[in-house]
Amino acid sequence: MRFILIDKIVSLQSGMEIKAVKNVSLAEEYLADHFPTFPVLPGVLLLEGLIESASWLVREAENFAHSMILLSEARNVKYKSFLAPGGRIEYTVEARTIEENVSSFIGFGVSDDERIVEAKFALRHFNLADENPSMAAVDAKVIENMKKRWNILSSG
Amino acid sequence: MRWIWIDKFVEFKSGERAVAVKNVTLAEEHLHDHFPGFPVMPETLCIEAMAQTSGILVGEARNFQEKVILAKIKKAVFYDYVKPGDTIKLTAKIDSIAPEAASTSGKITLGEKLIAEIDLMFSHIDQNLAGRKFPKENFVFTDMFKSLLQGVFVDNAGSGTPKSEQT
Amino acid sequence: MAMSRDQIFGEVQEVLVNALGVDDDEVTAESTLMGDLGAESIDFLDIVFRLEKTFEMKIPREELFPAESLMNSSEFVSNGKLTATGLAELKNKMPYIELGAFEKDPDINKLGDLFTVNTIVSYVDSKLNAA
Repeated sequence: MRFILIDKIVSLQSGMEIKAVKNVSLAEEYLADHFPTFPVLPGVLLLEGLIESASWLVREAENFAHSMILLSEARNVKYKSFLAPGGRIEYTVEARTIEENVSSFIGFGVSDDERIVEAKFALRHFNLADENPSMAAVDAKVIENMKKRWNILSSG
Repeated sequence: MRWIWIDKFVEFKSGERAVAVKNVTLAEEHLHDHFPGFPVMPETLCIEAMAQTSGILVGEARNFQEKVILAKIKKAVFYDYVKPGDTIKLTAKIDSIAPEAASTSGKITLGEKLIAEIDLMFSHIDQNLAGRKFPKENFVFTDMFKSLLQGVFVDNAGSGTPKSEQT
Repeated sequence: MAMSRDQIFGEVQEVLVNALGVDDDEVTAESTLMGDLGAESIDFLDIVFRLEKTFEMKIPREELFPAESLMNSSEFVSNGKLTATGLAELKNKMPYIELGAFEKDPDINKLGDLFTVNTIVSYVDSKLNAA
Protein backbone atom coordinates (compact mmCIF):
# COMPACT_ATOMS: atom_id res chain seq x y z
CA MET A 1 0.00 0.00 0.00
CA ARG A 2 1.35 3.40 -0.94
CA PHE A 3 1.32 6.20 1.58
CA ILE A 4 0.08 9.06 -0.63
CA LEU A 5 -3.20 10.51 0.52
CA ILE A 6 -4.06 12.83 -2.34
CA ASP A 7 -4.48 11.90 -6.01
CA LYS A 8 -4.39 15.17 -7.87
CA ILE A 9 -3.77 18.84 -7.26
CA VAL A 10 -6.74 20.71 -8.69
CA SER A 11 -5.67 24.30 -8.16
CA LEU A 12 -2.86 26.23 -6.56
CA GLN A 13 -2.38 29.91 -5.81
CA SER A 14 1.25 30.16 -4.97
CA GLY A 15 1.90 30.63 -1.28
CA MET A 16 -1.80 31.05 -0.61
CA GLU A 17 -4.21 28.24 -1.29
CA ILE A 18 -4.29 24.75 -2.70
CA LYS A 19 -7.09 22.36 -3.62
CA ALA A 20 -6.52 18.66 -4.08
CA VAL A 21 -8.74 15.61 -4.48
CA LYS A 22 -8.61 12.04 -3.28
CA ASN A 23 -10.62 9.09 -4.50
CA VAL A 24 -11.49 6.42 -1.96
CA SER A 25 -11.49 2.86 -3.21
CA LEU A 26 -12.05 -0.56 -1.65
CA ALA A 27 -8.68 -1.39 -3.18
CA GLU A 28 -7.12 0.50 -0.25
CA GLU A 29 -6.11 -2.31 2.08
CA TYR A 30 -6.64 -0.65 5.45
CA LEU A 31 -10.35 -0.32 4.72
CA ALA A 32 -10.71 -4.02 5.43
CA ASP A 33 -9.79 -3.27 9.05
CA HIS A 34 -11.43 0.14 9.29
CA PHE A 35 -13.95 -1.08 9.72
CA PRO A 36 -15.10 -4.57 8.80
CA THR A 37 -18.74 -4.19 7.57
CA PHE A 38 -18.38 -0.39 7.68
CA PRO A 39 -15.39 0.73 5.61
CA VAL A 40 -14.55 4.44 5.95
CA LEU A 41 -11.37 6.40 5.43
CA PRO A 42 -9.58 6.66 8.80
CA GLY A 43 -9.70 10.12 10.35
CA VAL A 44 -5.94 10.44 10.53
CA LEU A 45 -5.69 9.82 6.79
CA LEU A 46 -8.13 12.66 6.18
CA LEU A 47 -5.74 14.82 8.19
CA GLU A 48 -2.85 13.40 6.19
CA GLY A 49 -4.59 14.55 3.00
CA LEU A 50 -4.74 18.08 4.40
CA ILE A 51 -1.10 17.90 5.50
CA GLU A 52 0.07 16.65 2.11
CA SER A 53 -1.87 19.39 0.35
CA ALA A 54 -0.27 22.01 2.61
CA SER A 55 3.16 20.46 2.10
CA TRP A 56 2.89 20.90 -1.66
CA LEU A 57 1.92 24.52 -1.14
CA VAL A 58 5.13 24.93 0.86
CA ARG A 59 7.33 22.99 -1.55
CA GLU A 60 6.10 24.98 -4.52
CA ALA A 61 6.40 28.31 -2.70
CA GLU A 62 9.95 27.63 -1.52
CA ASN A 63 10.99 25.99 -4.78
CA PHE A 64 11.72 22.63 -3.14
CA ALA A 65 14.32 24.14 -0.83
CA HIS A 66 13.74 21.60 1.96
CA SER A 67 13.58 17.81 1.96
CA MET A 68 11.73 17.33 5.23
CA ILE A 69 8.26 18.79 5.76
CA LEU A 70 6.65 17.42 8.90
CA LEU A 71 3.60 18.13 11.01
CA SER A 72 4.59 20.16 14.06
CA GLU A 73 1.12 20.59 15.47
CA ALA A 74 -2.56 20.04 14.75
CA ARG A 75 -5.42 21.53 16.76
CA ASN A 76 -9.20 21.25 16.79
CA VAL A 77 -9.26 18.62 14.07
CA LYS A 78 -12.92 17.70 13.78
CA TYR A 79 -14.44 14.75 12.00
CA LYS A 80 -17.92 15.63 10.92
CA SER A 81 -18.94 12.81 8.67
CA PHE A 82 -17.73 9.57 7.12
CA LEU A 83 -16.10 9.04 3.72
CA ALA A 84 -16.81 5.67 2.16
CA PRO A 85 -15.35 3.79 -0.82
CA GLY A 86 -16.66 5.14 -4.11
CA GLY A 87 -16.52 8.62 -2.59
CA ARG A 88 -14.20 11.46 -3.45
CA ILE A 89 -13.04 14.28 -1.24
CA GLU A 90 -11.76 17.71 -2.19
CA TYR A 91 -9.36 19.31 0.25
CA THR A 92 -8.97 23.09 0.46
CA VAL A 93 -6.02 24.40 2.43
CA GLU A 94 -5.29 28.09 3.01
CA ALA A 95 -1.94 29.23 4.24
CA ARG A 96 -1.97 31.63 7.15
CA THR A 97 1.79 32.08 7.11
CA ILE A 98 4.64 30.46 5.23
CA GLU A 99 8.08 31.33 6.58
CA GLU A 100 11.43 29.74 5.94
CA ASN A 101 11.15 26.89 8.43
CA VAL A 102 7.57 27.06 9.69
CA SER A 103 4.13 27.52 8.23
CA SER A 104 0.53 27.43 9.43
CA PHE A 105 -2.72 26.51 7.74
CA ILE A 106 -6.42 26.10 8.02
CA GLY A 107 -8.02 23.39 5.92
CA PHE A 108 -11.17 21.40 5.30
CA GLY A 109 -12.38 18.54 3.16
CA VAL A 110 -15.72 18.27 1.38
CA SER A 111 -17.36 15.29 -0.28
CA ASP A 112 -20.74 15.45 -2.02
CA ASP A 113 -21.41 18.91 -0.56
CA GLU A 114 -20.86 17.58 2.93
CA ARG A 115 -18.00 18.73 5.13
CA ILE A 116 -16.01 15.72 6.28
CA VAL A 117 -13.05 17.18 8.14
CA GLU A 118 -11.61 20.50 9.23
CA ALA A 119 -8.34 21.33 10.92
CA LYS A 120 -5.87 23.98 11.96
CA PHE A 121 -2.28 22.87 11.74
CA ALA A 122 1.34 23.92 11.43
CA LEU A 123 4.27 22.38 9.60
CA ARG A 124 8.03 22.61 9.97
CA HIS A 125 10.44 22.38 7.08
CA PHE A 126 14.17 21.72 7.15
CA ASN A 127 17.05 19.86 5.60
CA LEU A 128 18.83 17.01 7.39
CA ALA A 129 22.07 18.78 6.45
CA ASP A 130 21.08 21.66 8.78
CA GLU A 131 22.08 19.45 11.71
CA ASN A 132 24.48 17.15 9.89
CA PRO A 133 26.22 18.36 6.74
CA SER A 134 27.03 14.83 5.63
CA MET A 135 23.31 14.31 4.99
CA ALA A 136 23.20 16.75 2.08
CA ALA A 137 23.10 13.93 -0.47
CA VAL A 138 20.12 12.36 1.32
CA ASP A 139 18.30 15.71 1.23
CA ALA A 140 18.99 15.95 -2.50
CA LYS A 141 17.61 12.45 -3.08
CA VAL A 142 14.41 13.14 -1.14
CA ILE A 143 13.88 16.42 -2.98
CA GLU A 144 14.43 14.74 -6.33
CA ASN A 145 11.85 12.09 -5.48
CA MET A 146 9.34 14.65 -4.28
CA LYS A 147 9.76 16.62 -7.50
CA LYS A 148 8.83 13.46 -9.44
CA ARG A 149 5.75 13.03 -7.28
CA TRP A 150 4.87 16.68 -7.84
CA ASN A 151 4.93 16.08 -11.59
CA ILE A 152 2.45 13.23 -11.27
CA LEU A 153 0.13 15.11 -8.92
CA SER A 154 0.10 18.37 -10.80
CA SER A 155 0.00 17.11 -14.37
CA GLY A 156 -3.13 17.74 -16.47
CA MET B 1 -0.97 -3.88 5.47
CA ARG B 2 -3.04 -4.09 8.65
CA TRP B 3 -4.57 -1.04 10.21
CA ILE B 4 -3.03 -1.68 13.58
CA TRP B 5 -0.54 0.80 14.91
CA ILE B 6 0.44 -0.60 18.29
CA ASP B 7 2.19 -3.89 18.98
CA LYS B 8 1.41 -4.67 22.58
CA PHE B 9 0.24 -3.26 25.87
CA VAL B 10 2.79 -3.16 28.68
CA GLU B 11 0.47 -1.67 31.27
CA PHE B 12 -3.30 -1.48 31.50
CA LYS B 13 -5.23 0.03 34.36
CA SER B 14 -8.91 -0.31 33.52
CA GLY B 15 -10.75 3.00 33.22
CA GLU B 16 -7.60 4.96 33.91
CA ARG B 17 -4.38 4.50 32.01
CA ALA B 18 -2.72 2.31 29.43
CA VAL B 19 0.78 2.05 28.03
CA ALA B 20 1.49 0.42 24.68
CA VAL B 21 4.58 0.08 22.52
CA LYS B 22 5.15 0.15 18.79
CA ASN B 23 8.18 -1.02 16.88
CA VAL B 24 8.98 0.93 13.74
CA THR B 25 10.48 -1.26 11.03
CA LEU B 26 11.56 -0.92 7.41
CA ALA B 27 9.24 -3.85 6.75
CA GLU B 28 6.41 -1.29 6.90
CA GLU B 29 5.73 -0.29 3.31
CA HIS B 30 4.41 3.21 3.95
CA LEU B 31 7.79 4.32 5.30
CA HIS B 32 9.20 4.06 1.82
CA ASP B 33 6.87 6.81 0.64
CA HIS B 34 7.42 9.05 3.66
CA PHE B 35 9.87 9.99 2.53
CA PRO B 36 11.58 8.20 -0.37
CA GLY B 37 15.25 8.42 0.61
CA PHE B 38 14.71 9.09 4.33
CA PRO B 39 11.95 7.13 6.05
CA VAL B 40 10.23 8.59 9.11
CA MET B 41 7.01 7.47 10.78
CA PRO B 42 4.27 9.81 9.56
CA GLU B 43 2.93 12.00 12.37
CA THR B 44 -0.61 11.07 11.44
CA LEU B 45 0.18 7.41 12.07
CA CYS B 46 1.65 8.38 15.45
CA ILE B 47 -1.70 10.02 16.16
CA GLU B 48 -3.46 6.83 15.07
CA ALA B 49 -1.24 4.75 17.36
CA MET B 50 -2.26 7.00 20.25
CA ALA B 51 -5.90 6.84 19.12
CA GLN B 52 -5.78 3.04 19.22
CA THR B 53 -4.11 2.99 22.64
CA SER B 54 -6.62 5.48 24.05
CA GLY B 55 -9.57 4.04 22.15
CA ILE B 56 -9.03 0.57 23.55
CA LEU B 57 -8.66 2.05 27.04
CA VAL B 58 -11.99 3.87 26.61
CA GLY B 59 -13.69 0.87 25.01
CA GLU B 60 -12.55 -1.52 27.69
CA ALA B 61 -13.81 0.87 30.40
CA ARG B 62 -17.31 0.16 29.11
CA ASN B 63 -16.69 -3.50 28.30
CA PHE B 64 -16.50 -2.91 24.57
CA GLN B 65 -20.24 -2.30 24.44
CA GLU B 66 -19.77 1.01 22.63
CA LYS B 67 -18.49 1.68 19.14
CA VAL B 68 -15.75 4.15 20.09
CA ILE B 69 -14.50 6.30 17.25
CA LEU B 70 -12.18 9.26 17.01
CA ALA B 71 -14.26 12.43 16.78
CA LYS B 72 -11.82 15.23 17.46
CA ILE B 73 -8.07 15.71 17.81
CA LYS B 74 -7.96 18.41 20.49
CA LYS B 75 -4.24 18.82 20.09
CA ALA B 76 -1.31 16.91 18.66
CA VAL B 77 2.11 18.50 19.14
CA PHE B 78 5.31 16.91 17.84
CA TYR B 79 8.77 17.60 19.17
CA ASP B 80 10.82 15.15 17.16
CA TYR B 81 10.48 12.41 14.56
CA VAL B 82 10.66 8.61 14.73
CA LYS B 83 12.76 6.34 12.51
CA PRO B 84 12.92 2.63 11.58
CA GLY B 85 14.58 0.72 14.41
CA ASP B 86 12.93 2.93 17.04
CA THR B 87 10.46 1.59 19.62
CA ILE B 88 8.00 4.21 20.80
CA LYS B 89 5.97 4.07 23.97
CA LEU B 90 2.41 5.43 24.03
CA THR B 91 0.99 6.40 27.41
CA ALA B 92 -2.69 7.31 27.49
CA LYS B 93 -5.05 8.30 30.26
CA ILE B 94 -8.77 8.92 30.40
CA ASP B 95 -9.53 12.49 31.48
CA SER B 96 -13.32 12.31 31.27
CA ILE B 97 -15.83 9.67 30.28
CA ALA B 98 -19.58 9.91 29.77
CA PRO B 99 -22.16 7.73 28.03
CA GLU B 100 -21.78 9.62 24.75
CA ALA B 101 -18.08 10.43 24.67
CA ALA B 102 -14.66 10.33 26.29
CA SER B 103 -11.66 12.64 26.46
CA THR B 104 -8.08 11.36 26.72
CA SER B 105 -4.59 12.78 26.94
CA GLY B 106 -1.36 11.06 26.09
CA LYS B 107 2.35 11.20 25.40
CA ILE B 108 4.59 9.38 22.96
CA THR B 109 8.15 8.84 24.13
CA LEU B 110 11.28 7.36 22.63
CA GLY B 111 13.44 6.34 25.56
CA GLU B 112 13.73 9.52 27.61
CA LYS B 113 12.78 11.77 24.72
CA LEU B 114 9.30 13.26 24.42
CA ILE B 115 8.14 12.81 20.84
CA ALA B 116 4.55 14.04 21.04
CA GLU B 117 1.63 15.11 23.20
CA ILE B 118 -1.73 14.05 21.88
CA ASP B 119 -5.16 14.84 23.37
CA LEU B 120 -8.21 13.24 21.78
CA MET B 121 -11.98 13.03 21.97
CA PHE B 122 -13.91 9.88 21.18
CA SER B 123 -17.56 9.58 20.37
CA HIS B 124 -19.67 6.55 21.29
CA ILE B 125 -21.51 6.60 18.03
CA ASP B 126 -24.60 4.60 18.88
CA GLN B 127 -25.33 7.10 21.65
CA ASN B 128 -24.56 10.07 19.56
CA LEU B 129 -25.47 10.03 15.93
CA ALA B 130 -29.24 9.99 16.19
CA GLY B 131 -30.90 8.82 13.01
CA ARG B 132 -27.75 7.31 11.54
CA LYS B 133 -27.87 3.56 11.25
CA PHE B 134 -24.78 1.51 11.93
CA PRO B 135 -24.27 -2.25 11.64
CA LYS B 136 -25.34 -3.79 14.91
CA GLU B 137 -22.18 -5.63 15.80
CA ASN B 138 -19.24 -3.74 17.25
CA PHE B 139 -17.13 -3.36 14.13
CA VAL B 140 -14.62 -1.18 15.98
CA PHE B 141 -13.37 -3.65 18.55
CA THR B 142 -12.60 -6.64 16.41
CA ASP B 143 -10.64 -9.69 17.51
CA MET B 144 -7.54 -8.02 16.12
CA PHE B 145 -7.76 -5.38 18.85
CA LYS B 146 -9.15 -7.51 21.62
CA SER B 147 -6.31 -9.96 21.18
CA LEU B 148 -3.88 -7.18 22.17
CA LEU B 149 -5.35 -7.41 25.65
CA GLN B 150 -4.80 -11.14 25.95
CA GLY B 151 -2.29 -11.87 28.64
CA VAL B 152 -2.14 -8.24 29.80
CA PHE B 153 -2.72 -7.67 33.46
CA VAL B 154 -5.99 -5.71 33.20
CA ASP B 155 -6.09 -3.98 36.54
CA ASN B 156 -9.43 -2.84 37.96
CA ALA B 157 -8.60 0.68 39.05
CA GLY B 158 -8.68 1.05 42.81
CA SER B 159 -9.61 -2.49 43.71
CA GLY B 160 -6.20 -4.05 43.19
CA THR B 161 -7.91 -7.19 41.95
CA PRO B 162 -6.91 -8.37 38.49
CA LYS B 163 -9.72 -8.89 35.97
CA SER B 164 -9.68 -12.37 34.47
CA GLU B 165 -7.84 -12.51 31.14
CA GLN B 166 -9.82 -11.11 28.22
CA THR B 167 -10.52 -13.49 25.39
CA MET C 1 -16.04 27.87 45.80
CA ALA C 2 -17.22 31.47 45.54
CA MET C 3 -16.44 33.15 42.27
CA SER C 4 -17.53 36.48 40.86
CA ARG C 5 -19.31 36.52 37.52
CA ASP C 6 -16.26 38.18 35.97
CA GLN C 7 -13.98 35.45 37.23
CA ILE C 8 -16.36 32.84 35.86
CA PHE C 9 -16.41 34.62 32.51
CA GLY C 10 -12.60 34.59 32.40
CA GLU C 11 -12.46 30.84 32.97
CA VAL C 12 -15.27 30.12 30.52
CA GLN C 13 -13.54 32.26 27.91
CA GLU C 14 -10.35 30.20 28.33
CA VAL C 15 -12.29 26.95 28.00
CA LEU C 16 -13.93 28.12 24.77
CA VAL C 17 -10.67 29.41 23.30
CA ASN C 18 -9.11 25.98 23.82
CA ALA C 19 -12.10 23.85 22.89
CA LEU C 20 -13.00 25.78 19.75
CA GLY C 21 -9.63 27.08 18.60
CA VAL C 22 -10.86 30.68 18.50
CA ASP C 23 -9.09 33.82 19.71
CA ASP C 24 -9.73 35.52 23.06
CA ASP C 25 -11.30 38.54 21.46
CA GLU C 26 -13.82 36.43 19.54
CA VAL C 27 -15.30 35.17 22.80
CA THR C 28 -17.57 37.96 24.07
CA ALA C 29 -20.49 37.55 26.46
CA GLU C 30 -22.96 37.77 23.58
CA SER C 31 -21.16 35.47 21.15
CA THR C 32 -23.38 32.58 20.11
CA LEU C 33 -21.73 29.21 20.50
CA MET C 34 -22.91 27.75 17.23
CA GLY C 35 -23.24 30.79 14.99
CA ASP C 36 -20.31 32.97 16.09
CA LEU C 37 -17.93 30.40 17.52
CA GLY C 38 -18.63 27.41 15.26
CA ALA C 39 -19.37 24.90 18.04
CA GLU C 40 -21.00 21.61 17.14
CA SER C 41 -22.05 18.39 18.80
CA ILE C 42 -18.60 17.04 19.64
CA ASP C 43 -17.48 20.50 20.81
CA PHE C 44 -20.38 20.68 23.28
CA LEU C 45 -19.08 17.51 24.88
CA ASP C 46 -15.51 18.84 24.87
CA ILE C 47 -16.77 22.06 26.51
CA VAL C 48 -18.72 20.16 29.18
CA PHE C 49 -15.69 18.03 30.09
CA ARG C 50 -13.43 21.07 30.32
CA LEU C 51 -15.96 23.04 32.40
CA GLU C 52 -16.28 20.08 34.76
CA LYS C 53 -12.55 20.07 35.34
CA THR C 54 -12.21 23.85 35.59
CA PHE C 55 -15.06 24.36 38.03
CA GLU C 56 -14.82 20.99 39.78
CA MET C 57 -18.49 20.18 39.26
CA LYS C 58 -20.50 17.52 37.50
CA ILE C 59 -22.39 18.88 34.51
CA PRO C 60 -24.99 16.59 32.96
CA ARG C 61 -24.74 17.53 29.28
CA GLU C 62 -28.53 17.58 29.08
CA GLU C 63 -28.63 20.35 31.66
CA LEU C 64 -26.31 22.71 29.85
CA PHE C 65 -27.21 21.81 26.27
CA PRO C 66 -30.77 20.47 26.21
CA ALA C 67 -31.27 21.56 22.61
CA GLU C 68 -30.59 18.20 21.05
CA SER C 69 -33.19 16.24 22.97
CA LEU C 70 -35.68 19.07 22.53
CA MET C 71 -35.14 19.17 18.80
CA ASN C 72 -35.54 15.43 18.34
CA SER C 73 -38.88 15.06 20.08
CA SER C 74 -42.22 15.51 18.27
CA GLU C 75 -43.79 16.48 21.59
CA PHE C 76 -41.68 19.61 21.68
CA VAL C 77 -41.35 20.50 18.03
CA SER C 78 -44.03 20.96 15.40
CA ASN C 79 -43.69 22.54 11.95
CA GLY C 80 -40.20 23.75 12.69
CA LYS C 81 -41.21 25.58 15.84
CA LEU C 82 -41.17 24.69 19.50
CA THR C 83 -44.66 23.86 20.81
CA ALA C 84 -45.99 25.40 24.02
CA THR C 85 -44.86 22.21 25.78
CA GLY C 86 -41.47 22.58 24.14
CA LEU C 87 -41.11 26.18 25.29
CA ALA C 88 -42.12 25.22 28.82
CA GLU C 89 -39.58 22.40 28.78
CA LEU C 90 -36.87 24.79 27.60
CA LYS C 91 -37.66 27.29 30.36
CA ASN C 92 -37.73 24.46 32.87
CA LYS C 93 -34.34 23.12 31.84
CA MET C 94 -32.66 26.47 31.50
CA PRO C 95 -34.25 28.91 33.97
CA TYR C 96 -31.40 31.37 33.57
CA ILE C 97 -31.75 31.76 29.82
CA GLU C 98 -33.18 34.94 28.34
CA LEU C 99 -35.71 34.00 25.70
CA GLY C 100 -36.60 37.48 24.45
CA ALA C 101 -37.91 37.49 20.90
CA PHE C 102 -37.53 33.73 20.60
CA GLU C 103 -40.63 33.24 22.74
CA LYS C 104 -42.82 34.88 20.07
CA ASP C 105 -41.23 33.02 17.17
CA PRO C 106 -39.75 29.79 18.54
CA ASP C 107 -38.25 28.73 15.22
CA ILE C 108 -36.00 25.77 15.98
CA ASN C 109 -33.42 27.00 13.53
CA LYS C 110 -33.00 29.95 15.85
CA LEU C 111 -32.64 27.80 18.96
CA GLY C 112 -28.89 27.78 18.48
CA ASP C 113 -28.76 31.57 18.76
CA LEU C 114 -29.96 31.35 22.36
CA PHE C 115 -26.80 29.61 23.42
CA THR C 116 -24.35 32.37 24.08
CA VAL C 117 -21.25 32.57 26.22
CA ASN C 118 -23.47 34.32 28.77
CA THR C 119 -25.68 31.23 28.89
CA ILE C 120 -22.72 29.17 30.06
CA VAL C 121 -21.57 31.83 32.52
CA SER C 122 -25.08 32.05 34.01
CA TYR C 123 -25.32 28.29 34.26
CA VAL C 124 -21.98 27.96 36.06
CA ASP C 125 -22.84 30.90 38.29
CA SER C 126 -26.16 29.36 39.29
CA LYS C 127 -24.58 25.99 40.03
CA LEU C 128 -21.63 27.38 41.96
CA ASN C 129 -23.81 29.58 44.10
CA ALA C 130 -26.62 27.07 44.67
CA ALA C 131 -27.32 26.38 48.33
